[in-house]
Amino acid sequence: MNLKFTFLLAWYYGLRTVGRGPSYIVASLSSPLTLLFIVFIISRGTLVKYAIVGGFIGLVASVALSSAGDAAFMRLQLRMQDLYVASRVNPSDYMLGLTLSYLMFSLPGIVLYSILGYYENVFTLPDVLALAGILALLVVSTSSISFIVSSSIKHVRNVWGIAGIMSVVMTVLPPTFYPYTFIPKIAIYALSVTPVTPAAVLTQGAFGLSPLMAMEIPVMLVETVVYFSLARYLTRWREK
Amino acid sequence: MIETEKLTKRYSDGNYALRELNISASEKITAIIGRNGAGKTTLIRILSTQLLPTSGTARVNGMDVITEAGSIRKSIVSIPQEAAPIGILTAFEQVKLYLVGRGMSFKDAAQSASMALDELDLREAKHYPTDTLSGGMKRKMFVAMALAANAEVVFLDEPTTGLDPISRLEVWSAIRRIGSTVILTTHYMEEAEQLSNEVILIDNGRSLEHGTPADLLSRFRGKIRVEINGQCEDCIHIGSLSVKYVNREMADRYIDMGFAIRPITLEDIFISRGVSIES
Repeated sequence: MNLKFTFLLAWYYGLRTVGRGPSYIVASLSSPLTLLFIVFIISRGTLVKYAIVGGFIGLVASVALSSAGDAAFMRLQLRMQDLYVASRVNPSDYMLGLTLSYLMFSLPGIVLYSILGYYENVFTLPDVLALAGILALLVVSTSSISFIVSSSIKHVRNVWGIAGIMSVVMTVLPPTFYPYTFIPKIAIYALSVTPVTPAAVLTQGAFGLSPLMAMEIPVMLVETVVYFSLARYLTRWREK
Repeated sequence: MIETEKLTKRYSDGNYALRELNISASEKITAIIGRNGAGKTTLIRILSTQLLPTSGTARVNGMDVITEAGSIRKSIVSIPQEAAPIGILTAFEQVKLYLVGRGMSFKDAAQSASMALDELDLREAKHYPTDTLSGGMKRKMFVAMALAANAEVVFLDEPTTGLDPISRLEVWSAIRRIGSTVILTTHYMEEAEQLSNEVILIDNGRSLEHGTPADLLSRFRGKIRVEINGQCEDCIHIGSLSVKYVNREMADRYIDMGFAIRPITLEDIFISRGVSIES
């Protein structure tokens, strides 16, 4: 492991990018904030707490899933991956560095949602700790999915389309912005194939907005390990 | 320094990029020349462990690209043909990041990055985001990576493609400053002539010629190239252009016939393939 490289990549590609390109912040916030607004209007404010809690999940998941586009773009267009393959950098350091970068992209949004949550009295300190743990697992699992998908993208023209579809389908369909009790349990199990579902269900439970569905804890943990392991095996580093 | 034996690469679509290629190179700067699609990039990617071969062997500094890829990676730098910087980062940040990836400390990487960029006349530009730099400056940034890394072997895949003449001269000058063994690919014959001590000509995945530029040009000793737009007898036809190699003493006669006279360059190795110059 070369953690120096990992953290420097995250620092440069994450924080510097956010600092020098403020439009990234607006772009990453636009989708969750729009959904928050829609939920507020439709529910006349009654489900706004769900939307705020879901906003954390939606934001981190959409940034990490959209990163499939970035990873493929860096491989196909910038040839950055080739540059690092022919050096001492190993795929895990590279993947972890990019994953942490995406977490940095989410930081401004997390701050904004924290302020909204504070004003809406959504959480307490234990809730915040639970949320931090869930978000950490979520960023690892969703980034892993992104790397697997990005490896299979062969043409730059498909990069952003695929990443966009993934991001919308995997963050809006699961009960991210609405109570998970609105849909049948069987649907929860089916939707659990995306790590966003257990993350959203657990967060709603941890914040006391819906009953805690403890079974989703092992689901979330196992999915994180499985997707990360699959990414290590399936992500194309040296080409065949 | 590099050698291949029956190296073959067949892509999943069935096309061969390399066909039982046998080459060896050990000079300070070796140029691999060939037309677009000749197999140059595939060869560089296999040698720099980015791509697996289908069959055959390839060695860098005696190490096998399949079984000893990890060791090779510690001793090489490979700049891909279409490598482009991350526009939002500065040249300094990208060179430093690359060097940290190669195992340098933050301090050493910062120092080496700064020195290399200064040496390549990027002192002013090194702290600007790279999307504000010219094409030549961006290429020089990648050459700075190679310079600062101090690797044993540096692979440069078409380092000057698409650059204007001034930027090309700047990159040539930068390449000459690299202390390591350099293997570069190009389809600019002038580049190969100017930079390399050794030239390997490949076409259709096979090696056609190998030697110093002087060796390769020796068969043209006493000759000049004459060319005319239109047909001519015993000429090589390239589109509407007709080319012929004749003794220097006959130049005046061909000028009178409307031919243009050109000096012999490595380009003529390509053009003359398949024709006997002596005749």
